[in-house]
Amino acid sequence: MKPGEDVTSASDRILLRAAGLTKRYGGVVAIDHVDLTLRSGEVCGIIGPNGAGKSTLVGLLGGALSPTAGRIHFDGSEVTSLPASERARRGIGRTYQIPRPFLDMTVEENLLVAQYSLSPLVGTRAAYAQCRSVLERTGLADAAKMPARALPLLRRKRLEVARALALRPKLLLLDEVGAGLIDAEVTELIGLIHSLVKEIPTIVIIEHVIRLVRECCQRLVVLDFGRQLAQGLTSQVLESDEVAAVYLGTGHGSLKAGPSERASSARARLAQGGQRAGSLAGMVGAGEPKASGAAMPLLRLEAISAAYGQAKALNGIDLVVEAGQAIAILGSNGAGKTTLAKVISGAIKPSSGCMLLNGEDVTGRSAHVLAARGIAHCMEGRRIFQPLTVEENLLIAARGVSAIEQRRRLEEMYLLFPALAERKAASGTAISGGQQQMLAIARALMAKPRLVIFDEISLGLSPIVVDRIYQALGELRAAGLTMLIVEQDMDRVLDLVDYVHVLEHGSFALSGSPPQVKANPRLRHLYIGAAD
Amino acid sequence: MAAQIASTRSLSVGAGSAGIVATALLLLGLSAMIFAPRVVGEYGTEIGFRALIYLTLAEAWNLLAGYGGLVSLGSSSFVGIGAYILMGMLNAGGFGIVTALTASGLGAAALAIMVSPAVFRLRGLYFTVGTLALGEALRLFMINVSYFGGATGIFLKSNPPPTEVLYVYAVALAGIATLVMEIYTGTRFSILLRSVRDDEDAASQVGVRAFRVKLLAFAVASLLMGAAGGLQALKLGAIEPYGMFGLQWSIDTLSIVIIGGLGVRFGPIVGTIFVIALAEALADYPELHLAMTGVILILVIRFAPKGLCGLGQDVCRLLIGRWDRPGMPRAGGALP
Amino acid sequence: MPSVELIASSLVSGFLLGGILALTALGLSLVLGVMRLVNLAHGEFLIAGAYAGLFLVKYTGIDPLLGLLVIGGVIGLLALPMHQFLLMPLAGKGPEAPMMTTFGVSIILQNAFVLAFSADTRAIERDYANVALTLGPVTVAQIYVIGFAISASVVGAVHILIAYTAFGRDLRASAADADAAATIGVNVRRVHALTFALGAGCAALGGTLIGIAFAFTPVSGATYLLTDFAIVVLGGLGNILGTLIGGITLGVLQSIGGVMLGDGYRDLVGLALFLVVLAFRPQGLLAASRS
Repeated sequence: MKPGEDVTSASDRILLRAAGLTKRYGGVVAIDHVDLTLRSGEVCGIIGPNGAGKSTLVGLLGGALSPTAGRIHFDGSEVTSLPASERARRGIGRTYQIPRPFLDMTVEENLLVAQYSLSPLVGTRAAYAQCRSVLERTGLADAAKMPARALPLLRRKRLEVARALALRPKLLLLDEVGAGLIDAEVTELIGLIHSLVKEIPTIVIIEHVIRLVRECCQRLVVLDFGRQLAQGLTSQVLESDEVAAVYLGTGHGSLKAGPSERASSARARLAQGGQRAGSLAGMVGAGEPKASGAAMPLLRLEAISAAYGQAKALNGIDLVVEAGQAIAILGSNGAGKTTLAKVISGAIKPSSGCMLLNGEDVTGRSAHVLAARGIAHCMEGRRIFQPLTVEENLLIAARGVSAIEQRRRLEEMYLLFPALAERKAASGTAISGGQQQMLAIARALMAKPRLVIFDEISLGLSPIVVDRIYQALGELRAAGLTMLIVEQDMDRVLDLVDYVHVLEHGSFALSGSPPQVKANPRLRHLYIGAAD
Repeated sequence: MAAQIASTRSLSVGAGSAGIVATALLLLGLSAMIFAPRVVGEYGTEIGFRALIYLTLAEAWNLLAGYGGLVSLGSSSFVGIGAYILMGMLNAGGFGIVTALTASGLGAAALAIMVSPAVFRLRGLYFTVGTLALGEALRLFMINVSYFGGATGIFLKSNPPPTEVLYVYAVALAGIATLVMEIYTGTRFSILLRSVRDDEDAASQVGVRAFRVKLLAFAVASLLMGAAGGLQALKLGAIEPYGMFGLQWSIDTLSIVIIGGLGVRFGPIVGTIFVIALAEALADYPELHLAMTGVILILVIRFAPKGLCGLGQDVCRLLIGRWDRPGMPRAGGALP
Repeated sequence: MPSVELIASSLVSGFLLGGILALTALGLSLVLGVMRLVNLAHGEFLIAGAYAGLFLVKYTGIDPLLGLLVIGGVIGLLALPMHQFLLMPLAGKGPEAPMMTTFGVSIILQNAFVLAFSADTRAIERDYANVALTLGPVTVAQIYVIGFAISASVVGAVHILIAYTAFGRDLRASAADADAAATIGVNVRRVHALTFALGAGCAALGGTLIGIAFAFTPVSGATYLLTDFAIVVLGGLGNILGTLIGGITLGVLQSIGGVMLGDGYRDLVGLALFLVVLAFRPQGLLAASRS
């Protein structure tokens, strides 16, 4: 029996009530007047695309962040101003999106921290017995004496849950606990959560892996741009078109538009782009003949693997990029897209495999060396230099060229993005998100690169702005710029590129031309996890 | 750095029981040392006294920086406070030495508690610089305020006890420090402290009141340092700000612990032995001695983050490794 | 009640001296702001500059003020291998390791100075250093005026370097986001090395001025280190002009403290101020508010 079906299992007692919760960082509003009511005995899911504010919300509820406005009442008393430690003592437990165990302590000791902080005088034997039982529940009994550092990802997630369990919480916040796991592991996790439901009154699951919320939550709240977009029973919310749109891509027009309509609008845009293509040809670091059969590929990755300590992020990636191609790298959160981007641009050194740029072996070279060789990376999160002005951000990327050439390139960028021209003296902090993204793109182009990686450029931006940006990308594409586009917003990307790779757990699970990939039913599964 | 270093300590199998045995041996050894003066004579006793004072300071600093992650450069503040309190109390008359030493410790702890709200707000580097400034500020304050003797300082009105007696006090103090360290590192408090050191935010999320944990460690460490300062003052018979609040204390303490092994249980004792030995060897060349200490400090930080203790452990592992039968799995992983 | 002349002279002296101190703090601010490195050997770079000035005039007769650029350049160059071999290898090991290493260097340098130059108190004796200038009620040492002028010029020059040149852009970008800077093509390691050298050079310049204006010993560096920290915190990490303002503020406050409480309290005022600011606003009084 799925918990989703049994509506009466939740009691009427309200465990947590958040009203008007707002979190502002300078000009950016991460959470915008969110109200949330949690009843004792329910499992509630919070979903939303990347950048919607899910993790901020967890931070606000758990106490790691203090709200700019709004109040939180937990179990009858107000906890808005209480720090995380006090909330934990009152019964709010939380896990971290990226597990943060106490690496230099054993698994057992990790749990003991919770025990001893709650009941400092508890007998040693009792404490260890408690730990033992929690570890058995979470499948870590055999690893009790192992250092946390030695645990692989799934077990670290289990440890996160175990550590929160040791607090005997009344409310458990599971922050993206399903990220980075393969299907079988997700099944295990679902089993674990089901077993927890009996002993923890209320569980909140903040998730990107839809399968997890589908099978564990009775109720869903959908966040988008920091605001509550939808709320209701799990099945209803997941069937809503609005919600699907928010995940698969906002499109340009309605999602209900048929493929032929979208193709023609895409063609129209490309044609429009072609007119500007001529003037942009100077921005594209060409010099090599485009796709002339026997020509060497611009970029070739062979069996590239990369890891962050224990967590393997990339697993034997083979990739070929020809000059002039536009390639999309898709995949759900945690699949390894940004890691791949960083390996190509040199921010991360691969642990094995080799990388060839125009035939030259550049494996493991530093980022600035690869930049000089013509690889530009428009990084996730934009990474604008805040203290520098817009113009300085641009100039810094045009390296090793005369002042006249710098001027020329600047003018071309201002032509491409007039909004930047108006704000050339503004500092990085004073421009909007969309303008920052444009700046990041322009900055990448200033180096006259041979290859540009666009990493999640639609993140957190409104559809109109994303439209404008993709229009620019279309123009660059037409001018012959080789590009790698890492994206969540599938729709726009598929209209733009020649070839698609879909990452899952560090390897390419699906590859092909846009029509092939779009038609493949696995695509939706890889994103939404709907096991049809 | 502290967190990476301490991994060896916390993971040594059976650390608890081994620790207790070792501590018991240490205490026995210390007790035996009470009889040492008769064997080594006057000069030996002097060295012994110095070593014991350093050991106390090093244990305290190891608690603070190694296990607590609070790298303080302000040890001199607490040493100095302790010294002046002892002098003040003994000169005022009517107080025994033990009372005065206890007061020294408590006074230093009080200072720690007083500055903690401000100082703990600073994380990492700011904390270190803040403690450095605190020590200097106190020194300058003492120089200028004539009530405390100003730049010339104050001296003990009565005669200080003979060296052998002071030596016994030093042994007792070092013994207390060792005991305190054992309690701290072997008990549940160690778990709380290390969790704060490893990841303060995650620790808070699990209910640990990080501020109180740090405060307790800070207060206890300062107490030990204050008592050591008081004892040192008693030995000197006359103190002044430059000597008692001077940066040397911070330098020496830090050097001993890092060279011995930061966050390693026996780092302080190994470090003390090494530094004292070096000091004796270069007794005629004080500047060279200090310069060498600096060089060794840099080398240790770069090449042996776990200090001499860590090097020793690596050597042992290497030797034991040689005697493994081929094919037998080794716990530590690949040979270096 | 001190006379009007005394107060006025003290304030102006404090102002000018503060400007000179700002130069000594400039290097510390740069290194802390760009590399997030607490250079505990900073005071010794200062003293190295003082000794360099001393020996320059002793062996070549060239006035240190004329040879300032050479002194700064030499000390800066000497700092490069220190960064290369001692600090860079510690790159991934957390912030304490490099700081402790500079602490070690500080100990080594102090004692090297004693061994090489003896522990005697020294001063760079120049005739112009002893002249007093009088304007109305105010009497100040001429060297303060000269020193202030030099200091302000150097601070201004460094500010121009940071704010208007390509290198300055690279430096500010590296400070803001080292990873993004590397991806853009900035050789962050080289920027750090040059910043460290620049910091050392500026410290040496300040030290030479100090050596002319005051006496110094091999261990004087420690006091200046702490005063400089106070200035850096007042002015904001990495804020060049802020350092000048911070220095002047400190100088004036020190003078007031000295007049009101007695001369020995001058340094104490600085430290007390430092502790207070550190307690309430560690990023500096003039730093931009966090985004």
